[in-house]
Amino acid sequence: MQPDSHNTSDPSDAAEAGKADPRAAGTGGAGPGLAGPRGAGPFLYPSGSRPLEGYTLKRGVGQGGFGEIYYATSDAGKEVALKLVRRNLDVELRGIRVCLNLKHPNLLDLYDIRQDAHGDTWVVMEYVAGDCLENVLAVHPGGLPSSEVLTWIHGIGAGLAYLHDRGIVHRDLKPGNVFSDEGIVKIGDYGLSKFISCSRRSGHTESIGTVHYMAPEVATGRYGKEIDIYALGVMLYEMLTGRVPFDGESVGEVLMKHLTARPDVSMLAEPYRSIVARALEKDPERRFRTVREMLATLPAIPGAALPFAPLPLGEAPATTMLRMVPDPGVRARPLDAAVGPLRSSLSQAVHKVFPPGEEPIARGVRALGRKFRAAWSERNLLGKILLLIPVVLLAPAAIYLFIPLTLAYLFYRFVRMLVLTPDPGPGGGPPTAVRAVPPAIAPSARPPTDTRPAIPAIVLSARDRFTELVGSLLAAAVIALVMSAVMIIIVIRGYQHHAALAPEQFAWVALVGILGAWGVLLLEKLWENRLEEAVLRRFILMVFGLGLGLAAWAVAETLLVDLPREPGIPSPASPARVPPSFYADGRPHPMAYMAVFGTLLALLRWWRQADRVRDSRLRLWSLAVSCLAALVVAGFWDFPQPWLVMVAGVMSASVQLASPWVPPRARLRPQRKMMV
Amino acid sequence: MLWIDAVGGYRLCLADEVLLGQPQEPDSRAGMRVDIPILADLGSRHALIRRDGENYLIEALSNARGVREVRVDGRPVRAVHWLADGSRIELGEGVRLVFRRPHPLSATARLELASHHRTEPPCGAVLLWAETCVLGPQARSHVVCPDWLQAVVLSRQGKELFCHTSGRLEIDGVCLREQGPLEPNSRVSGEGFAFSLEPLG
Repeated sequence: MQPDSHNTSDPSDAAEAGKADPRAAGTGGAGPGLAGPRGAGPFLYPSGSRPLEGYTLKRGVGQGGFGEIYYATSDAGKEVALKLVRRNLDVELRGIRVCLNLKHPNLLDLYDIRQDAHGDTWVVMEYVAGDCLENVLAVHPGGLPSSEVLTWIHGIGAGLAYLHDRGIVHRDLKPGNVFSDEGIVKIGDYGLSKFISCSRRSGHTESIGTVHYMAPEVATGRYGKEIDIYALGVMLYEMLTGRVPFDGESVGEVLMKHLTARPDVSMLAEPYRSIVARALEKDPERRFRTVREMLATLPAIPGAALPFAPLPLGEAPATTMLRMVPDPGVRARPLDAAVGPLRSSLSQAVHKVFPPGEEPIARGVRALGRKFRAAWSERNLLGKILLLIPVVLLAPAAIYLFIPLTLAYLFYRFVRMLVLTPDPGPGGGPPTAVRAVPPAIAPSARPPTDTRPAIPAIVLSARDRFTELVGSLLAAAVIALVMSAVMIIIVIRGYQHHAALAPEQFAWVALVGILGAWGVLLLEKLWENRLEEAVLRRFILMVFGLGLGLAAWAVAETLLVDLPREPGIPSPASPARVPPSFYADGRPHPMAYMAVFGTLLALLRWWRQADRVRDSRLRLWSLAVSCLAALVVAGFWDFPQPWLVMVAGVMSASVQLASPWVPPRARLRPQRKMMV
Repeated sequence: MLWIDAVGGYRLCLADEVLLGQPQEPDSRAGMRVDIPILADLGSRHALIRRDGENYLIEALSNARGVREVRVDGRPVRAVHWLADGSRIELGEGVRLVFRRPHPLSATARLELASHHRTEPPCGAVLLWAETCVLGPQARSHVVCPDWLQAVVLSRQGKELFCHTSGRLEIDGVCLREQGPLEPNSRVSGEGFAFSLEPLG
């Protein structure tokens, strides 16, 4: 569409419009990460043009999926935003008339809809000078502080509730459409996507809205107001963590993830975790029924009297400082999962005093860990070795300090968990509706859930899973044998005390390692489809560990294995006096075995090492952490020293190498196969 | 005014002395016109910012009832005060401005409104244009345009305005290479940027 040339002498615009015009390309604003006010390409109208009677365009503000937005003033000086809607063909003004007369403090005012001399449609609306949420999020890569998140969410929710009450679905809710006008949150572009899509129903395959915020059922064409709740959940996730739950390199990849992948909500603290999990349910029936219901589960805006009244943000978001450390409201606290209604009253009182999710020590340690990992991943192999040397050198000395500190910290965390347990969210932790077939192996009492035919799911039949499990067990056994040999050679050779390795010791390490790895793999298989709470998993792991310890003792006795203490490795007398029944003549009793293995299994998140969708198949970091943890645990319980470390190393390596792992690229294939 | 597509609108002041105060009716009594009208509880002639070579001063003006309230970095201004990069100016009660001189080689300064008040007509910031004004993606530009590929420099000599950039540009429809003259109502565009000038009053 050529711009008018009668008011300003700009034949150059004709030349510019003739250039490859990326705005008019198919997906336009739907490209991941590109949708938003900053589009590519010049604006169509120059400053000073008057395509509409009564308004003078001053400058272009942004380009989105539907057209361009200009800042303009009326002849009298009233500033407005003019949106040029370029891709409508059959304009149905009646359909949008209802949106024109909506009034709500959290909705951007629509003043009028006009047509210019060329037949283009312009929407005249309120101009908001403040930033849109997208720009605010760009400035906060780690997420926004909780109070700001709540202000935004309550504001967006209030506007959305108003729309839903009147039967209007926004359909294009995203951070680029939400603004902050001197502290008041305003939603824009409501009703417009419906207006546009009406005219494009004739087989146009372009998806409306930015894909990152699009609910899975939108692709099927059957959807209702629940898609807005889904988008709200995605936005809440993004505000808390700084990134979207589902991202990919192509539109198709992101859509696939919306359809099939579980969002990773592990880093969110309650109550946000369950809220986001429920809002992002694949099945619209399982999400919150109304926006008000969702808002009711959120904490109120700090200092607010009414949770639903829109309240100004303390300061314009643009002036908030850039945060380098992610907000503590998002720290992972696996121990602090919802425990029981007994604690809720006490915790409510404490809730007001201690904001949920703050864990300064863990945060500090994690920040340190993150920095180390960043440095680790940046180096190549030589760099990694260099990085490891000081760690290895410092390890023995650190043990002396580590154990009492860890003890004190664990005690502190335990007390904290008891005191600060937040309320369980509504419907928290139900099994996701993604799996269409209840697995036969897991003793599941869930009724068949998914009856909507429109949603494909990750389907691995029970038989496939069993095969997979057996395969991984066998692989684990083989790998464990190999790893044990390697471990023994490394550790024993490293200490000149034992030049020859006794075969029973090798057998013991290998057997216990195999059993441990099998246990972890089996448990992970059982847990694969469920959203268990971390505390429960650790408990089960601990029980398994006790059993493993017993088995280890049995193996040691049967094979007459002698596990001497290695004097080279320090084994400080632990502050908690180990009861004398644990040891006799320096040889550990079954109780010692059980205690040691129980602690080791419960201490780490072993299931993560067997996760199908972990970041990479073998992570040396997990291996190192397992070994370090074993070192600490053995030191604590005064267990003969290098043996537990070896077992832990063997277990970790075997579990990681043997458990099924899907590289990111291939993750779409199983779904496609099933959909055919 | 300088209207920059996808960035913002800015008020360009070319004079060496600019008057800050409340917006005036066009037909009020003759006298100095307010160069930076701010919609706030200020006097009609509240303060004066003067450029003296490379330095800037702010002067608190007075009316019949005494000197106007002007504070720089918290300290009241009796007569005049120097302005440095980052100075926080407070006029009256609650009108806060930040004075910035981001570019080390240019005497041009930028005044931003830190409080919620607005100029009339509204703008993102006021540019006190000395000789050169840099628009670009770098932090030391007078107007930071994050998505631009290269910087554009507006320069003036007396009443004549020029525009420089690396690469081609079009001014009012005329294709030029690297630089060209500007009129008070020119439209300039190039690779990845576009802006317009609009004369005020």
